[in-house]
Amino acid sequence: MADFEIKDLRASVEGRQILKGVSLAISKGEVHAVMGPNGSGKSTLSHTLMGHPGYTVDGGSVIFKGQNVLELEPDERARLGMFLAFQYPVVVPGISMTNFLRTALNSKRGYDGKDKSKQVTPKEFRSMLKGELEVLHMDDSFLPRYINDGFSGGEKKRAEILQMAMLKPEIAILDETDSGLDIDSIKFVAEAVNRMRGPELGILIITHYTRVLEFIKPDFVHVLVDGKFVLSGGPEIADRLEKTGYAEWGHTEEEPKEVA
Amino acid sequence: MGITAETLDQLQGEPGWLRDVRRNALDSYDRLPMPSKTDEEWRRTDVSRFDPSQFSKLEHLDGQKLVLPSALPEGVILKPLRQAAQEHPDLIEPRLFSLVHADRDRFTALHAAFFTGGTFLYVPDGVVIDQPIIGQHFSHEGGTSVLPHTLIVAGKNSKFHYLDEYIAEHDDEAGYRSGSTEIFLGEGSQVGYVAVQKWGRNVWHFADQRAELQKDSSLKLFNVTLGGRFSKTRVEASLAGEGSNAELKAIYFASGEQFFDFHTLQDHRVGNTRSDLLFKGALQDVSRTVYAGLIRIEKHAARSDAYQANRNLVLSDKAKATSIPMLEIDNNDVRCTHGATVGPVDPEHLFYLQSRGITKQTAKRMLIQGFFGDVLDRIPFEHARRLVEAELESRIG
Repeated sequence: MADFEIKDLRASVEGRQILKGVSLAISKGEVHAVMGPNGSGKSTLSHTLMGHPGYTVDGGSVIFKGQNVLELEPDERARLGMFLAFQYPVVVPGISMTNFLRTALNSKRGYDGKDKSKQVTPKEFRSMLKGELEVLHMDDSFLPRYINDGFSGGEKKRAEILQMAMLKPEIAILDETDSGLDIDSIKFVAEAVNRMRGPELGILIITHYTRVLEFIKPDFVHVLVDGKFVLSGGPEIADRLEKTGYAEWGHTEEEPKEVA
Repeated sequence: MGITAETLDQLQGEPGWLRDVRRNALDSYDRLPMPSKTDEEWRRTDVSRFDPSQFSKLEHLDGQKLVLPSALPEGVILKPLRQAAQEHPDLIEPRLFSLVHADRDRFTALHAAFFTGGTFLYVPDGVVIDQPIIGQHFSHEGGTSVLPHTLIVAGKNSKFHYLDEYIAEHDDEAGYRSGSTEIFLGEGSQVGYVAVQKWGRNVWHFADQRAELQKDSSLKLFNVTLGGRFSKTRVEASLAGEGSNAELKAIYFASGEQFFDFHTLQDHRVGNTRSDLLFKGALQDVSRTVYAGLIRIEKHAARSDAYQANRNLVLSDKAKATSIPMLEIDNNDVRCTHGATVGPVDPEHLFYLQSRGITKQTAKRMLIQGFFGDVLDRIPFEHARRLVEAELESRIG
């Protein structure tokens, strides 16, 4: 059995069914890409997996470490080892990135304000940050700023990957992490993700475009159309989509221009 | 026993002029009607069950504790208001209740008639005091009236910070409390004033904080409202001199059955004046708050800037915040913005924090602290900032 098993997942938003039975097994060490046209259910998949309250689960299960994570709060899923890099990281005024990162790290370690031995020390925190910042070509000037406040699109996405690197998840979902990024930013992000690849991490990349997959090579590619997988296979599927787009499934949409 | 002229007998040793002020105020109290629900200011604020005669024992006569900087510069007067009324009538008589008028309504009249003490601070021209001056007003028992009054006179180009702290020994005390303040800012003076109201959860509280700003003076006023079953606070700045600047900020945190009412006034009487108001509050449980604020730009007050914002974070389905911003502008050459928001913790913010493993409870606490963060940064001096942060911390839990 795989480490992370999505079985027949069905989910809806505001009464409209979006996911119509999605099954996917991810094991640690693997990189899976889910590709699909606009409106295919990609965002619903990522949000449902992480437990966003705006999405309703209508059926199915997601088994990770012996638990159906669909029954858990988002923070419990995260502490179990899941991570979602947001497509649109939110700006949260009033909370500094430092405070946010430190609290997240402490929560992950089970520090509840009592057992000081579980608390991340300032020294440890700084040294962890330093290494990751370098890889992502970020400087520490953003740390005292409020969460994602005034960050450019590229900075927001890099900050997401920074959080992933700090929290060391076992299953990471990267939701359209490439969208809105210029080619340099994609490379920095890909480099950071590739550094984390290894036997302890399973990755699910959700993307509309094949471009990011040139830098983060997937082991498996799944095509999501209208809430269901229509095709699954190896990386060659990405090449096929690169040429023909989603036309063979009736999606002849104009490819929206990439925004740098 | 009611609250009557005999009640005044508890206040011995005052000069004749002050006895007259008190008697006149008591007359006003007897004469003025109870505010009715048809009166806009009191439409949402129910005072019908307030019976001051239950609290006819006056407490805290000159009982404030003044925390002084190690040395006060020469000429500075800092003493209990009743004592100062004896010793410096020339400074006090023309000013006392000239900003917070005793006959404005029944409650200002009651406060003027029975004020139980408080502080007089006079800072002469050109004097700068680095360390903050702190007045602490205590209530020791329930069932009483504790009605301190602060009178501050800032000489030309003087500069200082003052903190009024209203402290209940027992959080569940009932009683009648006020804590009014009049601040006179002379030309070019810079005053930081912070009032932290943490009376008990069952008291009636009425306060009027009003400042008058002369030419080029600058006021940073910060109000913190935490206590009271019922609390009505007016914060008013009268910009009377060109180049004057009033920053009016407040935070409030209401829980249980607390009801807070704020009325603010930014009165631009002359041109080239600036005011910036931000009131931020969080509400829990079944608490209610009302904010109503008026920016008034008078006819000759051209080239004035006025900003006003009231933000409410509603943490419970049963709590209710009402916000009523108002503008009254008689000059076209001005810049004005105002706005109000009332809403819960943003679920997207909560989800984002939770998705990083932070529990809902901790995430909520961080978001509440974050909500207050930008306004806390505006507390004019460090001592008060730390105090307020600690108070909030203990309430956010």
